Amino acid sequence: MSMEDYDFLFKIVLIGNAGVGKTCLVRRFTQGLFPPGQGATIGVDFMIKTVEINGEKVKLQIWDTAGQERFRSITQSYYRSANALILTYDITCEESFRCLPEWLREIEQYASNKVITVLVGNKIDLAERREVSQQRAEEFSEAQDMYYLETSAKESDNVEKLFLDLACRLISEARQNTLVNNVASPLPGEGKSISYLTCCNFN
Amino acid sequence: MADKLPSEFDVVVIGTGLPESIIAAACSRSGQSVLHVDSRSYYGGNWASFSFSGLLSWIKEYQEENNGEEWTAWQELILETEEGVALRKKDQTIQHVEVICYASQDSDEHVEEVGAVQKNPGSVTSASTNDPPDSMVTACSDTSELTTPLSEPEAAREVPDVDVTLGNENHGGDTDCSQSPLEQEKAGNLPVGEDVVDAPKKNRITYSQIVKEGRRFNIDLTSKLLYSRGLLIDLLIKSNVSRYAEFKNVTRILGYQEGNVLQVPCSRADVFNSKKLTMVEKRMLMKFLTFCLDYEQQPDEYKAYEECTFSEYLKTQKLTPNLQHFVLHSIAMTSEESTSTLDGLRETQNFLRCLGRYGNTPFLFPLYGQGELPQCFCRMCAVFGGTYCLSHAVQCLVVDKESGKCKAIIDHFGQRISAKYFIVEDSYLTEKTCSNVTYRQISRAVLITDQSVLKADSDQQISILTVPPVEPGSEAVRVVELCSSTMTCMKGTYLVHLTCPSSKKTAREDLESVVQKLFTPYAEAELENEELKKPNLLWALYFNMRDSSDISRECYNDLPSNVYVCCGPDGFLGNKNAVKQTGMYSCSMSSFWNSALPCAYKPTSGTTSSPKPSLILIFLLKFSQNTLDPSDTLLRNVFSRVLDLNSLSSATEMLWLFPPYLFSQGQHNSLHNRCLIKNC
Repeated sequence: MSMEDYDFLFKIVLIGNAGVGKTCLVRRFTQGLFPPGQGATIGVDFMIKTVEINGEKVKLQIWDTAGQERFRSITQSYYRSANALILTYDITCEESFRCLPEWLREIEQYASNKVITVLVGNKIDLAERREVSQQRAEEFSEAQDMYYLETSAKESDNVEKLFLDLACRLISEARQNTLVNNVASPLPGEGKSISYLTCCNFN
Repeated sequence: MADKLPSEFDVVVIGTGLPESIIAAACSRSGQSVLHVDSRSYYGGNWASFSFSGLLSWIKEYQEENNGEEWTAWQELILETEEGVALRKKDQTIQHVEVICYASQDSDEHVEEVGAVQKNPGSVTSASTNDPPDSMVTACSDTSELTTPLSEPEAAREVPDVDVTLGNENHGGDTDCSQSPLEQEKAGNLPVGEDVVDAPKKNRITYSQIVKEGRRFNIDLTSKLLYSRGLLIDLLIKSNVSRYAEFKNVTRILGYQEGNVLQVPCSRADVFNSKKLTMVEKRMLMKFLTFCLDYEQQPDEYKAYEECTFSEYLKTQKLTPNLQHFVLHSIAMTSEESTSTLDGLRETQNFLRCLGRYGNTPFLFPLYGQGELPQCFCRMCAVFGGTYCLSHAVQCLVVDKESGKCKAIIDHFGQRISAKYFIVEDSYLTEKTCSNVTYRQISRAVLITDQSVLKADSDQQISILTVPPVEPGSEAVRVVELCSSTMTCMKGTYLVHLTCPSSKKTAREDLESVVQKLFTPYAEAELENEELKKPNLLWALYFNMRDSSDISRECYNDLPSNVYVCCGPDGFLGNKNAVKQTGMYSCSMSSFWNSALPCAYKPTSGTTSSPKPSLILIFLLKFSQNTLDPSDTLLRNVFSRVLDLNSLSSATEMLWLFPPYLFSQGQHNSLHNRCLIKNC
């Protein structure tokens, strides 16, 4: 892995109700785009963006739900080896906030217990239609020991900050672990990925 | 659940087992709209993996009385010109579920004391899980108490990995077993200087610890491994589904001979390093294996024995009985009585060819269990627009009387969803549909033990062991032992899967004798000599699973021509049947699939030379990483020529490599991240 051109690689996973703007957040961050009138997510697996933080190259692999959240059928394997989770709701949609405990239960069940979770209230550009007050969300996130941020993928408010802060926290977390374990590279998972490459053989 | 399902799809897939998931992914990827439902609340059907508490609920469900209910409400929703084929309400593929808990069920809060004094575990043996999972969670100690120190300082980082009872076995030299971030994190979490360091190694794992650490378990209902050159590996790589999963190599092939478990040498290095074999044996074995690798080239060697069984043929070769045993049972993994010479040679060759691709044995195991694989294909399907709905039952298939074709399903809400093709897993069909089908049964056991069946330098071994039939006529039992680094069991334990075709009435009758040979029930463990001790059995589950593979389509009654039945898991080690079946179906649906590839086969005029392989690689790499720049004309050129390559001959291969929206513009405009053609 030493050949790769980054110092850290993190897997970040987005969850939250359908239509809260998960895909828009990722696209705003990775591509600087905001596609108006986007329907349910199709064709987005994960996106990669490499950022530099304090001179270190951090590769962020950001995974989208692929629409499986619509009928509450996200695969467990989606959560495997995620370093961070971004739990998103829509500040103009009470329902998406009320579903958060359900999402937390799913996180508890399937994600690693050391995963960093960030709560994100999206669509603050639609402040006049706000249904979930900032205070309520803050209280909720405090009670759950989560970091909290409000964003607008449309206006690009706080989107950079969301991912960069997360990257910083992941780095410091990884550092701590490295110190304790004396293991160099914090890679998601420990198994090997398979490919066509092959070295030795029976003969 | 505010959203209502759309009422029209191209393909409806019922059941989320491996074959169904592969088909769903393929259909979705070729541009078809797919609805994939499962009446269960989890993915995978009988291919699923469960946490410990998940498995307990699964057990509970199948221990209940089950009388094969059918849906009936749909009858009112059917028109006069239609007929309904009812589907099953409750699954009936699992029988004879028995659970035995050997580990201490005391809810002792002082697990650390167990190490100091060898406490009588007061084991309770019961025939059922008498404790619901939730009530057990309370009383247990910190995970760190399950760990044991190492004397070697350089092995310090291994601490959280060390198995409780094998503490003295560890020499910190098992560098091949690197730690996962998960374990690193746990290590980081350990209070420094805790008394773990002084804790003696004789720590007993109790039932409450298993329950508390239940999330660490991923217990497969079906125990399989992937042949490293098998169809499934090929498919995973081609389809790029492999990026959703990680794998570990099986580290050892074991054999069982005269009551002992031995490691079977199979690679060249193994054979030469083996201390069990004499010099002469090594030469014999190498010669024979080298011959097997391309036996077709030397037909004279085996022509005369084609009518014999493989075991008789082996006797004629210059092999000692010892080696014959290894080749027959552990390498070819074939039956002594019924396998023909040619089949045996083919199996041996297959085994040898798979060696060395990813490691020293031919097999891979997916981290977090076999149940990940269907989920990975499902994700692929979802990424390309497939709609997913678990806990969604289907009442019936609606068949048009005139055409005899299935045109819709009616789901448990009474909603009608129409489609062109329907894929149904066998277990959803009712007795009426399957009255002419004779199913075989698979006997399964799942054990949690505290040591490996064969101790080694490293306690993180993944082993496969074939136990030959005890008496003539009974079946060989396949044993797969998983260590905690496969993410399928808690630290300090091993997860052992036993599988054989059923011959007696229940799985327990089939398998218990083998379990007794290899393991000691926890309660008796105290009496035995420490050195000779077999691994302790902490917990055991037995069940029979229906084997619905290899059933011809004609056996099912009244099956409309556009309904395809997928089989459940078979009893074999590999996944050949499942993948082959999907290939077959994709062929019969191919006219339908290929419509998504209209321009794929247009020869690019005037181009005779093929692009360099390196360019293709770059293209595929960029493509797979979503970093392909649409304005990169060179790569675009390559892409158009890739289509001419001989290596990509079949349409299905093409399908996997290039999602069709690359060919048909406009259809998927929202596919921003791979907008190759669109911008051209």
